[in-house]
Amino acid sequence: MAQTLSDQLDIILNTFERNVPHVQATAIVSTDGLVIASRLPDKVEEDRIGAMGAAILSISSRSGDELNRGDMERVLIEGKSGFLLLHSIGADAILVSLAEKDVRLGMLFYECKKCINQLSEIL
Amino acid sequence: MPDIKQIVLERDLNPYHSFFASFFGGLGELGMLNQGSINIVSKRAADYLYAYLDAKEILPDMNAVPGDTSAEVIKNLILYVNKILSLVGEYDLKEAEQDQVVLLISGDTCRICPKGVGGASVKGTLCPIPSLLEGLINKLAQKEMVKLITSGIEKEGSTCKAYYQVLN
Repeated sequence: MAQTLSDQLDIILNTFERNVPHVQATAIVSTDGLVIASRLPDKVEEDRIGAMGAAILSISSRSGDELNRGDMERVLIEGKSGFLLLHSIGADAILVSLAEKDVRLGMLFYECKKCINQLSEIL
Repeated sequence: MPDIKQIVLERDLNPYHSFFASFFGGLGELGMLNQGSINIVSKRAADYLYAYLDAKEILPDMNAVPGDTSAEVIKNLILYVNKILSLVGEYDLKEAEQDQVVLLISGDTCRICPKGVGGASVKGTLCPIPSLLEGLINKLAQKEMVKLITSGIEKEGSTCKAYYQVLN
């Protein structure tokens, strides 16, 4: 039986999480701030993650434009307990990742890129 | 900037319409507001509006709201909300398949559109009406009466559509 888009997205996110130790959760949201797919903990309100993730990325991108920083690569927010990483997936979607403090950032960025390439092909 | 005079006169705007539409439109243009965040804050606004209506003692008596079916009651609640907030000029609520209703708004009569009235030049939609109505109808009915199915508003030509599941 053919996989649905939702299944395909879930597989890609699952693989990404397995490949990078200390990644805790992932989501794909539209630039409208609406959740497309997610692997977030139950207690997390995914509607809020979607809306805020899209807003953060959008504001960051516009700030970068205003300050002549060129096309934005990613947004990384570092907290005492871990990281929030946001990447554009083309013009219409965003990859949101949550990682623990112990994550290797190089590995995280590398696997994010691989994941985004895969997602770009199906979104 | 759009032709403000034409919009004000044709859509019969009051100053609050103009303020909120342009305010939200500006936040949208800065990237601070998207449909997802509008959906969240509109439900919050519904709670405050309900409290306002309660304080003013103008809440409808749910036992007196006419309608033999849930869809008819919802239609009358939207009529009540629109009379107070004057959100849109022309609209309709129709029954759709499987316990669903669809709200059809004539887009060029909407008075609070952050794009059409507030001039926001953004991709996608920034419509507060579907989730505002969802929140207000459920508060007024004192039960989960409707659930918004669409993630905001769907544009079809000049018509804006929002689908709701009728729960009971």
